[in-house]
Amino acid sequence: MRGGALPPALLCVALGLGLASAEAKAALVGLAVLVVMAWAIAFAPIPGSWADTVFLGCWTSIIATAAIVHGSGTLKDKKGFAFSLNASVWTGSVIALAPSKMELLEALPLALCAWPAAWARRRGQAVVLKVLASWLIAVAVLGATLQFLPVTPGYLPDHMD
Amino acid sequence: MVCRLRERPSIRQRALGWLEVAIAFGIAEATPAYAHVGTGFPGGFESGFRHPFNGWDHLLAMVSVGIWGAFLGRPLIYALPVIFPVMMVGGAMLGMFSVPMPPVELGIAVSLLMLGLCVCFAIAAPVWVACAIVATFAVFHGYAHGVELPSAADPVGYSVGFVLTTGLLHVLGIGIGLLNGRPKGIFVTRSLGAAVTLAGVWFLCLALSR
Repeated sequence: MRGGALPPALLCVALGLGLASAEAKAALVGLAVLVVMAWAIAFAPIPGSWADTVFLGCWTSIIATAAIVHGSGTLKDKKGFAFSLNASVWTGSVIALAPSKMELLEALPLALCAWPAAWARRRGQAVVLKVLASWLIAVAVLGATLQFLPVTPGYLPDHMD
Repeated sequence: MVCRLRERPSIRQRALGWLEVAIAFGIAEATPAYAHVGTGFPGGFESGFRHPFNGWDHLLAMVSVGIWGAFLGRPLIYALPVIFPVMMVGGAMLGMFSVPMPPVELGIAVSLLMLGLCVCFAIAAPVWVACAIVATFAVFHGYAHGVELPSAADPVGYSVGFVLTTGLLHVLGIGIGLLNGRPKGIFVTRSLGAAVTLAGVWFLCLALSR
């Protein structure tokens, strides 16, 4: 148990918060890239032995993507595209390892938080987004660390698995 | 035309009414005994989200951080709710890896006492002092969470839950702190600070008596 759809869901939230600082067109392109690429990668045959790397990549991407929010100014188009591509790769990869691809439907809609986040930003409330991004970073650091923790009951499969 | 006055319920009837409400709440709150209640995302996230509500020491400290931040204004009003969860995660990691620490219960009790005093006397600490105080106490609170984390069935969901609750409690504290702008608002917030200080003394006595 590594949180199931939770890491990709948090990555989608981080991307949404990040894209809030991009121009509307760039944000739309970013979201489209996320949806298309994540769906494509979710059906790729990713070996189960890659799980550690994939989850670590997802947590690291959450940290990097949430860090955009702390940057000042508008997110450049190319940068927004790159972050969206990165998020889609890790979101799709984690879902590819999940028992059900439908978990993608739980994660992807969260990227739509870009819309209210952009609204908050326009109203001069960017600090709220920065606080949320910091919480995401804190959770991602903890999530990544948990991978290196000696076995805990949480990571041991029980008879329900 | 006869106008019948509505009869007021007797004290006994009112007591029975409240009893019925209490029983209804009791039934609604009662949870069946699931053997795997802590398993999976709902179990881990929910137990993590509820965790800070289970202890008054954690809850009061987090709300106090928010109130103090509101007293101190920018940049601490948003810096403290960032520092506390981040440092709490640091403390949780120390707890998970069982790194030795000074008595955690004592640290948490002192945190309540100090934060209560800061709110009660509206202490306008310099930015770095406020950050240092909050960061230090956050480590103790995080350590307590971290030690309990390995027993959770879904540690990732649990972590997200407790970080989110912590942040929301800060936001609640900031909301209370915004009362300062209203007449008698400062009296309310400083009284809350005094209450937190008393709670801190109580928890300190408990920690020392162990």
